Amino acid sequence: MTIFLIICAAMFGLLQLSQQKYSSESQMSGAFQEARLGIDQVVRDINISGYPSQNMFSKAPSTASYALGPVAWEPGYPSNPNCSVGSTCTTPGDYDVILETDIGDGNGVSWIRYRLPANETTLYRGVVPKTAGGDPVTATSAAGVMVPLVSNVMNNPPGGLLTQITAEYPTLFPGGAPQPVFQYSCATPSGSQPCTSAAAAGYNAPKFVSDVDVTLIVMTQTPDMQTGQLKLMELSGRGHRSNPMN
Amino acid sequence: MSGPGQLGKKQAESGAALLIAIFALLLISVVAIALVVTSGTDAALGGNYRTSTAAYFAGVAGLEEARGRLLWKNPDYINNNKPNSFPTLMRPDGLPTWQLTDVFYITNPAPGETVDPLSANPADYPDTEYQTEFGWPLAGATVNKIASVSAVAGLPGPSYKWVRITPATEKSLAMDVDGDGLPPDLTTKLYYDPANSVLGKPSPGLIAPVPPTPVPATAVQVLEITSLAVLPGGSRRLLQYVVAPVVISPYVPTNPPNPNYAEFANPPGNNQPSFPAALTILGNNPTLQVPSASSYVIDGRDSCSATTPKASVNSIGYTDSTAYPMILGQLNPQKSNYPGYPMAASPGPPPVVYTPTTPSIPPNATAPPSAAVVSSVPLSWQNPAMLDALVQDINNSADVVINKSTANGSDISSRAAAMSVSNPMTIVINGDLDLTGWHNVGYGLLLITGALRYDPDASWNGIVLVIGQGIFSSSKSGTGGIQGAVVVAKTRDTAGNLLPTALGPAFFGSQTSYGSNPGFGIVYGSCYGQTVQGTSVFSAQGPLTYKVLSFHEIPLTN
Repeated sequence: MTIFLIICAAMFGLLQLSQQKYSSESQMSGAFQEARLGIDQVVRDINISGYPSQNMFSKAPSTASYALGPVAWEPGYPSNPNCSVGSTCTTPGDYDVILETDIGDGNGVSWIRYRLPANETTLYRGVVPKTAGGDPVTATSAAGVMVPLVSNVMNNPPGGLLTQITAEYPTLFPGGAPQPVFQYSCATPSGSQPCTSAAAAGYNAPKFVSDVDVTLIVMTQTPDMQTGQLKLMELSGRGHRSNPMN
Repeated sequence: MSGPGQLGKKQAESGAALLIAIFALLLISVVAIALVVTSGTDAALGGNYRTSTAAYFAGVAGLEEARGRLLWKNPDYINNNKPNSFPTLMRPDGLPTWQLTDVFYITNPAPGETVDPLSANPADYPDTEYQTEFGWPLAGATVNKIASVSAVAGLPGPSYKWVRITPATEKSLAMDVDGDGLPPDLTTKLYYDPANSVLGKPSPGLIAPVPPTPVPATAVQVLEITSLAVLPGGSRRLLQYVVAPVVISPYVPTNPPNPNYAEFANPPGNNQPSFPAALTILGNNPTLQVPSASSYVIDGRDSCSATTPKASVNSIGYTDSTAYPMILGQLNPQKSNYPGYPMAASPGPPPVVYTPTTPSIPPNATAPPSAAVVSSVPLSWQNPAMLDALVQDINNSADVVINKSTANGSDISSRAAAMSVSNPMTIVINGDLDLTGWHNVGYGLLLITGALRYDPDASWNGIVLVIGQGIFSSSKSGTGGIQGAVVVAKTRDTAGNLLPTALGPAFFGSQTSYGSNPGFGIVYGSCYGQTVQGTSVFSAQGPLTYKVLSFHEIPLTN
């Protein structure tokens, strides 16, 4: 009987261990899956951004009929397209991008916004039809437009959480700084260059954006049940605009 | 020995081991199943994402194969002289001439499977999108098919199933291209016109010339490429390009047409020259300096023309009307060295003798000088940003791109060793080019974004574009020259920044001094460059590439 109880205890211990492991791995898989789907969605939208361009028309069409560029911008949209990505543009930015494209939903050109609000951990996505004379930031900020796409995104978490995460994953947050979700490359005569680099000087307006690197650092819902450690993973993708600039 | 009590106890415990074993096995099974389920979920998650991405790239691979095989210089050009040749789809100069119902498939079946876009069998990957796009069934179209060349050395290529190439219409693109407010036109083929302008601004774009409106001579047909990728796991993606051939032609026909231009053999079918002059200087306040040597000419008569009179263009073209006196002043001392359009017929009985105008510049000598008459150049060739875009197109399709602050002739020799009269090449120098001491002949298209320091020991047969800093400076002595056409334009300031609205002052002359024998100069020739389908034409006349005008994904409904 004693032997039986010992064996049972060992088995239940093993079972509990595997249950904890299973639970942690399930959360990990869930977070991974959510982030992967999120990145896939972002990259898909970036790939077709800028469709259709102005050169698909023989006469000047309504600005709602075509994409002014791969991304909308602020400040100055649409009349002043000269803000610099990475410095004077508030969007496109590290945590905010508004793509312009026709996603084939029958609504023509849309604004598709991805945004990770400061000190929040949910990446939102919103789609609204583009309107002539409309403002993409205002349009996508209306109630009910932005919906959660990926939760537990830790690229720019609240300060206390950032400190805790940085302590456990120093390589994910070099210098303890928040990590951008979106990083932009611009089309230059010498090829695609980071928009913030000196090589992209003169070519860092939003219309020159050619590639967007998407990085998501996601965390599981709860810490690891065995170790109590926060479980994070980093996923990245790269979208490339194939449509020509206007 | 066992007593009766022990025997009873043993009997009471009999089967316990079996129960323990069964229980243990049950627990182990639960753990094992949990592990299997976990790993299975992980594999499925990874697999879903991987196949979705793989299907996307497989679709893009199909689009790129089709785009590449539309280009005349591709060894697997769809209209090459192999058994699968489709001369009705492509003109001899490599430009597309597809009829409305022409449909062309490149099929790419996996080993053992059938890919038939016309089939009704869902297993054969039927093309159910065609009718949706064009409004009539595929059975009513003229369908051609060839096999993919994506498999290499027996290894399967990307998993796209078919690529469809068709002409484009408003209906197929679901767009009101011409802005007429009517429902999308089903039957008017779309063209891309680099010379199109909207409200006086250059705006190359699609046009929909509804018959009997003629297709502008500067326009090229637009094609639609659609690729279906299906992975073994079932992931499907349907992607689409709209493409147009890139043709280098800084000329728009005059109205009324130039009578001598009708004599041009190239490009076939267009009866118009590709360049308005042997030397074209674009932009305001240009500088033109010509040498005093009598051997130096800039001749607008087409050296390839065998007609009487010879086809001809101006000797020198320009777009700044105020530059006329300066140019005339440079040429007049030896004006017979600058012959060209128009060719004047001698009066009296036959045989008629045709004499070129000297110097041949717009406004020509037979017309009253007018500030409004300058070379007939598309607005898109007079705008820094659009010329810069052209430079990028050429960069993207060049055989050789040399990025160097100052390249020289040996850079060309080493990087373009295969260049020859039968193998002309497109060479881009992103920087200055110093040809001093280069005793060779180049063939094809030469683009220099910096300054060209030309030594007439070197010759070039084809097109020379000096677009960027816009400096063509000659010195030294030699016996060479340029047969073809030269265009000089300043699109960037000395720091390399793109000029905002107007072209800067281009320079053609000598920044030091011309040599005592500055070569034979520039002679217009429409047959120097590369060979397309056995017809010698300007290298620019065979498309440099097929430019992607748009890319999007078509949502699949099944």
